[in-house]
Amino acid sequence: MLLSLDTTDTRPLHEQVAGAVRRAIAEGECAPGDRLPSARDLSAALDVNVNTVLRALRGLRDEGLLEFRRGRGVTVAEGARPHSGLQIRVRELVAEAARLGYSRTDLIDMIRGMP
Amino acid sequence: MRDTTVAVRTTAVVWTVGVTAVLAGMPLMVRERLPDPLATHWGSGSRVPDGSMPLWAASLFPALIWLVTAGLTLGVLLRGRSTPHHPWTAATLLPTGIVLAGAQAALVRANLDRADWHEARQPTGWIVAILVAAVVAGVGAWFVTTRRSADTAAAGAHASGAPALDFPDGRRVAWFSRTANPWLRLVAAVTGLVAVGVLVAVVGGLADPGGLWAAFAGCAVASLSCALFSSVQAQVSERGLEVSFGPLGWPVRRWAPGDIDAARAEVRGPAQVGGWGYRVSGLGTTVMLRAGECLVIRPRGRRTDFAVSVDDAERGAALLNAVRAGR
Repeated sequence: MLLSLDTTDTRPLHEQVAGAVRRAIAEGECAPGDRLPSARDLSAALDVNVNTVLRALRGLRDEGLLEFRRGRGVTVAEGARPHSGLQIRVRELVAEAARLGYSRTDLIDMIRGMP
Repeated sequence: MRDTTVAVRTTAVVWTVGVTAVLAGMPLMVRERLPDPLATHWGSGSRVPDGSMPLWAASLFPALIWLVTAGLTLGVLLRGRSTPHHPWTAATLLPTGIVLAGAQAALVRANLDRADWHEARQPTGWIVAILVAAVVAGVGAWFVTTRRSADTAAAGAHASGAPALDFPDGRRVAWFSRTANPWLRLVAAVTGLVAVGVLVAVVGGLADPGGLWAAFAGCAVASLSCALFSSVQAQVSERGLEVSFGPLGWPVRRWAPGDIDAARAEVRGPAQVGGWGYRVSGLGTTVMLRAGECLVIRPRGRRTDFAVSVDDAERGAALLNAVRAGR
């Protein structure tokens, strides 16, 4: 699998790492059931602190994209691919809304108000 | 390339047939001057023979050994698709043929013009000369064929152009790939179980320790090495290539971008590199866990390649080339 970080990105690093993994899943770089490289390997290859990587992975587990299994390491969850695609679009929507001056509450209201 | 393949195969077949003819035919051609049975075995240090064989057996037996050895080696050589990257076929066929044919010649010479096989004397000088010749031929064949295949591999790398991955500036890119071979894992588990069983039997006093320690050591080493090479992880990043083995990710081999001359992807099979696991052959070092795509690098200042069988090797090689080019 190919992971990439944008070095000019100003978001917190753990979000960037989570975003890179999410994108990799959405683009089919890794299939459900595949084992992710260890946090240590990810941290070394991406030149990011290992705790930052772990924080990103825990976040993705909470989103339901990853599964932590004892003895098998971190694997991609079943059905993670469409899920990650949706997550990416939601994040893009929130970012775009913030750029235009809308808060998350405004966005929620807009979605609620949709027919 | 095609012509070389045909030439290599023809040479191997002609050598096989020729040695068979010498082995079987030599005693028969001079059978008028040989006793029947022939002296075929001498005790170590004694000049008097202690074993004999009928003439027909002495001519057929070595030929059969040769045909089985050569048949197995040739089978691999002839089945291989196009490129004859088989230095070990030459390194097997040449010395084995020399040893067998030389031994047969020494045997005939020792028995020649003797009335009875008990009179034949051990041809010690001949045996030493044959062994030396076989070792020299084997080493020579290995060097000649490995040098040639390393050159063709290098030529192939230049021909394919070894592309570099294109990614936007200001991006930190890392590539990961992993291969596991469940069969090696199974072998590791089974041999590990046998080792533990033997250890328990010896420690518990159920069995006589005698040769069992050797069995334990053998099984334990087999189990550990199979476990070590049952899976392999490769990663390419700005720090270069890192290949780690086994479930623990240890041992690790690392190459900084500056230590690599070129990277490419290539399809290789176990038959080309001499089996599964960590293989050193004419193609260089190959970590072979399954047939198929391999990431191949040429370390700086080396004449041979390092290859590891991982999926998606093409992009790994492309990223490595991009990193190398200072991206």
